[in-house]
Amino acid sequence: MNGEALDFPILSMLVFMPVAGAVIITLLSKRRPEYMKLVAAVSSVATGAMSIWLTAEFNGHESGFQFVSKHSWIEQWGISWHLGVDGISLFLILLTGVLFPLAILGIDPHNDDPAKNKPYLAWLLLLEAGVMGSFMSLDLFLFFVFFEIVLVPMYFLIGGWGYEGRVQAATKFFLYTMIGSAFMLVSIMATVFIASRNGVGHVTFDLVEIAEHAEFAASTGRWLFFGFAVAFAVKVPIFPLHTWLPDAHTQAPTAGSVVLAGVMLKLGTYGLLRFGLYLFPEASLWSRHLWLSLAVIGIIYGAIAATMQKDLKRLVAYSSVAHLGFIVLGIFAVTSQSITGAVMQMVNHGVSTGALFLLVGMIYERRHTRQIADLKGIQSVAPIFAAAFMIVMLSSIGVPGLNGFVGEYLILIGSFMSARWYVVVASTGVILAALYLLWAYQRVFHGEPDEANKTFAELKLKEAAVLLPFIAVIVFAGVYPKPILERIEPAVDALITHVEDKTGYESPQPAAVATISEEGE
Amino acid sequence: MLAQDDFFLAPGIEWFHLGPVIALVSGALVLLVVGALTPRWPRGLYAYVTALTAAVAGGLAVFNWNDITDDGVSTLVGGALAFDTFAQMITITVCAATLLVALVTDDELRRAGKDGPEVYALFLIAATGAVVMGSANDLILLFLGLETLSLALYVLAASDRERPTSQEAGIKYFVLGGFASAFFLYGIALIYGGTQSTNIGEIIGSFQTSVLLDGKDTLVLAGIALLIVGLGFKVAAVPFHMWTPDVYQGAPTNVTAFMASVGKAGAFAAMLRVLVIALPFHRDDWRPAIWVLAVLSLVIGSVLAVVQTDVKRMLAYSSISHAGFILVGVEAAGHNAGELAPGDGMPSVLTYLLLYSVLTVGSFAVVSLVARNNGGDTSLDAFKGLAQRRPTIALALTVFLLAQAGVPLTSGFIAKWGVIQAAVEEESYAIAIIAMVAAVVAAFLYLRIMVSTWLETGAESTEREAVPFSTGVAVFSAAAFTLLIGVWPGWLLDAAESVTTYAK
Amino acid sequence: MQAVVLAAVVPTTTYYLVLSAALFGIGATGLLVRRNPLIMFMCIELMLNAVNVTFVALAVRFGNIDGQTAVFFVLVVAAAEVVVGLGIIISILRRRPGATADDLAELKG
Repeated sequence: MNGEALDFPILSMLVFMPVAGAVIITLLSKRRPEYMKLVAAVSSVATGAMSIWLTAEFNGHESGFQFVSKHSWIEQWGISWHLGVDGISLFLILLTGVLFPLAILGIDPHNDDPAKNKPYLAWLLLLEAGVMGSFMSLDLFLFFVFFEIVLVPMYFLIGGWGYEGRVQAATKFFLYTMIGSAFMLVSIMATVFIASRNGVGHVTFDLVEIAEHAEFAASTGRWLFFGFAVAFAVKVPIFPLHTWLPDAHTQAPTAGSVVLAGVMLKLGTYGLLRFGLYLFPEASLWSRHLWLSLAVIGIIYGAIAATMQKDLKRLVAYSSVAHLGFIVLGIFAVTSQSITGAVMQMVNHGVSTGALFLLVGMIYERRHTRQIADLKGIQSVAPIFAAAFMIVMLSSIGVPGLNGFVGEYLILIGSFMSARWYVVVASTGVILAALYLLWAYQRVFHGEPDEANKTFAELKLKEAAVLLPFIAVIVFAGVYPKPILERIEPAVDALITHVEDKTGYESPQPAAVATISEEGE
Repeated sequence: MLAQDDFFLAPGIEWFHLGPVIALVSGALVLLVVGALTPRWPRGLYAYVTALTAAVAGGLAVFNWNDITDDGVSTLVGGALAFDTFAQMITITVCAATLLVALVTDDELRRAGKDGPEVYALFLIAATGAVVMGSANDLILLFLGLETLSLALYVLAASDRERPTSQEAGIKYFVLGGFASAFFLYGIALIYGGTQSTNIGEIIGSFQTSVLLDGKDTLVLAGIALLIVGLGFKVAAVPFHMWTPDVYQGAPTNVTAFMASVGKAGAFAAMLRVLVIALPFHRDDWRPAIWVLAVLSLVIGSVLAVVQTDVKRMLAYSSISHAGFILVGVEAAGHNAGELAPGDGMPSVLTYLLLYSVLTVGSFAVVSLVARNNGGDTSLDAFKGLAQRRPTIALALTVFLLAQAGVPLTSGFIAKWGVIQAAVEEESYAIAIIAMVAAVVAAFLYLRIMVSTWLETGAESTEREAVPFSTGVAVFSAAAFTLLIGVWPGWLLDAAESVTTYAK
Repeated sequence: MQAVVLAAVVPTTTYYLVLSAALFGIGATGLLVRRNPLIMFMCIELMLNAVNVTFVALAVRFGNIDGQTAVFFVLVVAAAEVVVGLGIIISILRRRPGATADDLAELKG
């Protein structure tokens, strides 16, 4: 069961499998669209299967990185191809692996020219490789490469297959993220050089080596952290930097939105954990009140803004801002429970918001509008569709028994010990979430359908097949989250220990003796 | 110390080590003389001879490189030329760019029925000038190299006699280029006044022995100022950049590609030779000036690029912004110039030059394909729908543009990473951040071109661009190189590391 | 200030340096203010020759020939510039007689 013993380079394969698919698709003749779909299916399903296998093989008792694959890449600069998985990244990888095949197979881009499928599928697969790589990189350079490379496919997906304002939205998305990356790039280099002079002893971009050995002076560490933080704050997005998100989400094609909400936003929160808290514990703790405040503002602001949206997709986008606020709250509360909850919530948000975008995409396909005002009474013409929507929506609200509850509950409970008043304010966000989602549901699904909505088609078999995995995860993780939590926990505890060792910070221990993994049950 | 010798001792001439220069000059002579005496050569033979010459010269430079690795650096022809890997790296850069440009030029000229040896001979002569600039160990020789390059470029810029814009570009380039050359020359004269020599080795020696003449410092400082002005013009750094957009836009596209690659490589080689190698003792005097030039070029180049509507003009402004990036590397090299551990500034600049040269030739090659299809129109509108008409070419253009924007897994990223890393290593954080933010602004420009190419549809009537064989080869190999270096840059960085050991 | 000190040692060289600086300045100013391509071109020549004066004066003062060899090269370069420059100017004037630098404004942005 020990991952180290696995002689198959599974992590590298997770990156290269989609790349190979993309390359083959690019080389295929334009006149054979059916082969393209086949290649895309094979490579993304194979990647998904490997990610499931990875999860199965993962040793849940070990806190360190597993399945490590390390090869020297650019020796002159101390850069290596260094991949590894721990409990924090495991489920994000699984989520990526499973979400992409669904997005690729389940959603057709809304255009009539099958020849345009070729770049669409190739970009999606490249995006998958980039996201996978970002979650597994243990080398700062490598991480930056993946983090930055995901912009390109996403840019083309939004710009090429999105809706009316797509070009502007894509450009905004690209530039916002790149500005953040600009700071991160300088920060990465400075981190490496300063670390090489303070503790590490040689120039290396290896994350673990730097995090374990480097001794940054407090003010230096804060500046370096700032550079990383800007990039991640844009990506998350944290409150004042979030303006690209609603545009990008609204204009992106459905698969793009699903992937964007499902996994790409997690790059930011994952980065905050891995390259913020782990790499710069002192600076992270020093600035935590800023983060907590912004997180809470994001929760409330996102909820209020979502309430006021007239466009269903924009509503979901703003709800993402609120949800991501919870995750940031959990991360910077720095307790074992809150961070475990945050990691869990990253996965939950990916599943539930991904599914919501999928459903909104289906509505748009049928009605060619996303305006809430144009939709009415769908429940009576398409009850199964409405039921599916209801389940997903309840998961997003965080109703007990569904996955959203577990994460949010752990975050709030965990944060309460270290950031009490923030939690008090954030809790109102939970209520607001119920408000805007239920209100939207009521307006869209209840009432008597008017002429235009009378013909709203019921859920098709193919659509149901795509939605089913989402709903299965939503219910499973809500009822029985133990296998997930017990794999996340050791890594989180190790992270907390690392932070405590480096800074003398003491994370508050839960008063109750009950272990976390039992609380969700 | 030739001047003080009692009798004249003829300098030894290492013919083989001069190989690249000799190859380029003889190629030019063959084209001119044989070309003038024989009837028109068939099927683009002129271009292939040029490409072959450049390839041979580049190959000889590689041989030289091996010799240097084995035997160490030395000077040639009585100390006039430096024989070091710096010179060979510039030579290889110049030859690679010349080769690609020759391939692009071929059908550009043949299609217009203007095929002839003159343009190619001028390319080779200009390349010789750039190579000499890279190898010069004497300021006068540096000036000669500069003029050889510049004079050939003036003519090339004006070489399209049918388009008035080409002539206009030629005269503008000529007047401002002559102006800059005069400044450069005056700078040399004043340095000579301060150090009693024009030989770089002796200049360094004069600072080391430090016999302070009266007024020496003033002369040297004034000389440095004038040199920076002159070089600033040649590398197109803000505020000496005014000629660039006009000339880049007006000149025939293949010539623009040549200017942006070979011209820039030569000018930066000269800058490094003069500032970093010859004047390390005044590094604290010239470094702030370079800092200012770098920041201005980065900011103004990127910002003005965004508001343009003509792709050639955009690329001109983007070349200014790239010059800013390279200056960041020069600034980094200035921190430890002349010391035993000189830092990564020099290697990063030379790597940037090589990678950027290939990139920019590739970009302009695509521009020339599109322009030819639209009757010389290089506005953004001409690029609309390129992806539908020629997906492969559009893909290549995208690779070039992404690389210029500095997206990972392309050579442009490696280039940018190199200079920024060199700057950060010297703790020049401010300039590093300014450079990266400017890169984001510039990215907007590349996105605009990509939007036109991929996301907008062109007029129905637009024909598919013809992609002739030689241009296709040039574009393909440039794109392949761009991606290859992006994924596997180790060997190039390895090679570039040795350039800090220079002959003097 | 430094020039004054220099003057006390070898007075004549300074005069030449000042002269050449003045000539160079005139040339540079002329290039910037005049609009006739031919006169602009002459201004460049003036600047180059001003530098020649510097070179010769310094060479005499230092008693080495580096400066004087430089002058020969500069002369050759100047001659080459004449060829190129006049060629371009003539080809423009042939197309548009009486053109000035202000007329050449097709390229703008």
